Amino acid sequence: MNSSMEKRQVSDTSEFQQNLEILRQMDFFSALSLQALKVFAYLFTREVFKPGDYLFHQDDNDGNAFHILSGIAEVARKDESGEFCLGKYGEGEFLGGLALLGDMRRLFSLKALTDMTCLVMTREKFTKAIEQFPDLMPRVLETMVDRIRSWEERLFLDKDGLCDACRKKVGVSLI
Amino acid sequence: MRKTETPVVKRSLPSWILASSFKLQALLLLVILITVFARVLPLEMQKRIVNEAIRFGEIQMLFWYCGYYLAAVLVATGLKYLISALQNVIGERALADMRKALYHHILTLPLNFFRKTQPGLVISSLVTEHASAGMFVGMAIGVPVASILTLFAFAGYLIWLNPLLAGISLSIYPMVLILLPRLQQQANKANKRRVDTTRTLSGKIGEAISGIHEIHGNGSYRIENRRYDKMIDKLYKIRIVWNLYKFSVKSVNNFFNNLSPFLVFIVGGYLAIKGRLDLGALVAFISAQEKIYDPWKELIAFYQVYQDASVRYKRTMEYFDEVSEHALEPDDREPYELEGSIEVKDLSFQAEGGIQLLDGINLSLKPGQQLALVGFSGSGKSTLAQCVGQLYKYTGGHVLLGGEEVTDLSKKDVIHNVGFVSQTPFTFEGTIKDNILYSCAAKLGSDEIGETDALPSLDDMIEALQQTGIFVDVLRFGLNAILVYDEHQGLASKIVRVRDHFKREFGEELADYVEFFAEDNYLYHSTIAANLTFGSANVESYTLQNLAVNDYFLRFLDKADLTRPLLTLGAELCRQTVDILGNLPPEKVFFEQSPIRAEELDEYKTLSTRLAKTKLHHFSPDDRTSLLRLALRFIPGVHKMVGMPSILEELILEGRALFKEDISRDDPGAITFYQASKYIYSQTILDNIFFGKTKTVNPQAEEKIDQSIIQVLIEEDLLETIVEIGMEFQVGSKGDRLSGGQRQKLAIARVFLKAPRVLIMDEATSALDNKSQARIQSLLDTRWKGESTLIAVVHRLDIIKSYDKIAVMKAGRIGEMGTYDDLVAKKGMLYELIYGKKASI
Repeated sequence: MNSSMEKRQVSDTSEFQQNLEILRQMDFFSALSLQALKVFAYLFTREVFKPGDYLFHQDDNDGNAFHILSGIAEVARKDESGEFCLGKYGEGEFLGGLALLGDMRRLFSLKALTDMTCLVMTREKFTKAIEQFPDLMPRVLETMVDRIRSWEERLFLDKDGLCDACRKKVGVSLI
Repeated sequence: MRKTETPVVKRSLPSWILASSFKLQALLLLVILITVFARVLPLEMQKRIVNEAIRFGEIQMLFWYCGYYLAAVLVATGLKYLISALQNVIGERALADMRKALYHHILTLPLNFFRKTQPGLVISSLVTEHASAGMFVGMAIGVPVASILTLFAFAGYLIWLNPLLAGISLSIYPMVLILLPRLQQQANKANKRRVDTTRTLSGKIGEAISGIHEIHGNGSYRIENRRYDKMIDKLYKIRIVWNLYKFSVKSVNNFFNNLSPFLVFIVGGYLAIKGRLDLGALVAFISAQEKIYDPWKELIAFYQVYQDASVRYKRTMEYFDEVSEHALEPDDREPYELEGSIEVKDLSFQAEGGIQLLDGINLSLKPGQQLALVGFSGSGKSTLAQCVGQLYKYTGGHVLLGGEEVTDLSKKDVIHNVGFVSQTPFTFEGTIKDNILYSCAAKLGSDEIGETDALPSLDDMIEALQQTGIFVDVLRFGLNAILVYDEHQGLASKIVRVRDHFKREFGEELADYVEFFAEDNYLYHSTIAANLTFGSANVESYTLQNLAVNDYFLRFLDKADLTRPLLTLGAELCRQTVDILGNLPPEKVFFEQSPIRAEELDEYKTLSTRLAKTKLHHFSPDDRTSLLRLALRFIPGVHKMVGMPSILEELILEGRALFKEDISRDDPGAITFYQASKYIYSQTILDNIFFGKTKTVNPQAEEKIDQSIIQVLIEEDLLETIVEIGMEFQVGSKGDRLSGGQRQKLAIARVFLKAPRVLIMDEATSALDNKSQARIQSLLDTRWKGESTLIAVVHRLDIIKSYDKIAVMKAGRIGEMGTYDDLVAKKGMLYELIYGKKASI
């Protein structure tokens, strides 16, 4: 009956060390010192999702961030007319960093399409940990600001994909 | 408490003396009178020993007089102790009364007062500043009476011995009496400054501690240090001056007291030489004169205590001398049962500094109607709700609750009719149950949250838990409880039945989330100890904490070739964990995934430095025990800093079989092996139902698990029992073992349970997830509509459609008011709030 039990990796590297390696290559955490990085690598937990599981729901204030280790998830938004897919994310993507920084209700849902494994960080852990490294917050904010700016920049560069109606509504980097 | 009593802050310090126990004070006086006599007697004996016994060589008489002398000394000593004891009791009792009365008073002070008052200040006032006042009350009757009587007795005796000498030696005291008060006045001034500075200082400390996040966040250590240091320097100077004056009081006093023997020797010596004074009388005179100093010293000390106490007492009481804005209880009537109508007429509220927070508010609600207050933050919606709930005293206009002016109602009237859920509800230390009954118990006026018939029943409480959506959380607390063999055997056997049921129905479905206890498999979500013993201990020496020092178990580890690998694992765990967590504070978040507990961190830190220098086989037995303990605790599925070597897994599985054989032979009762038919007392109820451990903390999986568990528990009729156990969960100080959402749900539950006629919710659901918020909103729409009048300050605009009225507030005024549809159709302020400014252009 335990055939479904997760296969143990017979290796010398612990999950913590694997996490550490992954984090070092992540944009969001790249500015962190090694000691801080270790704490974050330790606090990240691995979660498994099955097809159809929600990583978070629209309107929830769950405060989690996900780094996808394997599998594919779909971003969807529901309104009166039903649910429509807005995009797909796969291995190596880091989602929800903004939710770590403060209260934020989700504008979308994130749903697993395949079996997924993610590294999950909760806002509570993140806040407590960042308190311990006060000089990190400015750098994290910097990374965040930069990401928002370059995101919108990309939007402008992609001239053909932007409809006229959308063009009038851009300006997220003006907030 | 009597209503006519003067408020504690208006009471004078001496009034506490009158309030203290009359019997004790009378007893004290009596003891003092006897003591005075016992103090003077030795002097007379002294004289007689010299003049009669020694002079005439009467041995018999010498013994008699010495006997009296000894007896008097013994009695005086004993009585002195008795006096101190009585003073102590009186003083401490007064201190306790003062502290209670002041605390009771402080709690009733208006909220405004606490905006400008640091908690640290209140703490220091209650804890330190009153100590001297208590001491004074204890001394107030005993010391002056005793000292003055003794003083007079000695003085009388001196005069009786020799009026001239007595006159000369007593002449110094009037001089002291003139000088001392002047010095003391200066000391008092310094003392006043000291009290004030200490007060600002404790306020400052309190501020820094509660704002520590901000200080860390800004790295503003230097700024804060400079502020603090400046105050300390000021205090340092004041204290020096204060102490110098105090010492000068003592010095002046000493000087004059030492001066008087000089006078006696000069005059008395002269008289003795001239034969006008006998030697015995001179000896007695000198002793008496020395002794007169004692009561005098006590009197001066008392004077200083009095001065110090009255300064501190006055300063403290003055600070808290504010009146609560509303009477606590109605005079000679039962609290009103108001009907739930609310009428607000031309209401205004002006904060200190003339800021108009509310201006010209008019609205009216019929009983059972619901009003949503919306608007930008700072628009006054919370203030309006708080004025209606009597938390703030409005400065103009009227608020009528069921036709009664809110300002004129007593607190009791209000809590009887109004339920208030604040934005950041406070959870108090205690169980879930204590917190859920908090409002009801307060309404009933009971001091303790305990069992009375009037309190809601278990069913009511469970209903409130369900309504607010905290039911599942409480159930979880219950499921995570560990049953005690002696108390819960009945329940335990029922849970074993649930286990079968659960396995039949959900075993397959949940197999991915649960690691079942299976004898042939390594359990990644259990400790190594549990993997080895594969059972729960029936005796103390086999519990997880004690296994590392259990000789039988240690021998078994050797035999199974496990000692060395486990020590190595322990060392690795120690190194890694200390490396990651070494400098972090002992918070739950950091230690949840660590085999080292927060309180053990320092121990393992030093061990880790030793590990860097020493080889394992050189380690002391104690260190080896610590490492082994760590290894035995290791749960690979939780403690991720170290990977589990697969060879160790094999060894442990073999060890498990060996251990079972050995222990069944040598000590059969020590362990109950995991068996599908037996309850495991070392594991939680949930793990017992699973007969295994959950592998995940992911919310979806938890929800699936919860649903299936609930279904099984309902079918087995155990749901309430488990929830009841969950309600005994200790929420921790300030409820810190609960999440923000759970605290908010609990706060709503306690007000729902009270079922007030008027419900005021100040952004009461802001920390809740969407589902819970929707659940509570629909409850307000169905269960409470028409029952309770509701004023809800609402931040989220998608939940206000069903309200009877919506008031949009702006800058302290109601900008527009009406139903949702009307206001949206009007395309006014509400429309703008919902659809944004741009859209309305």
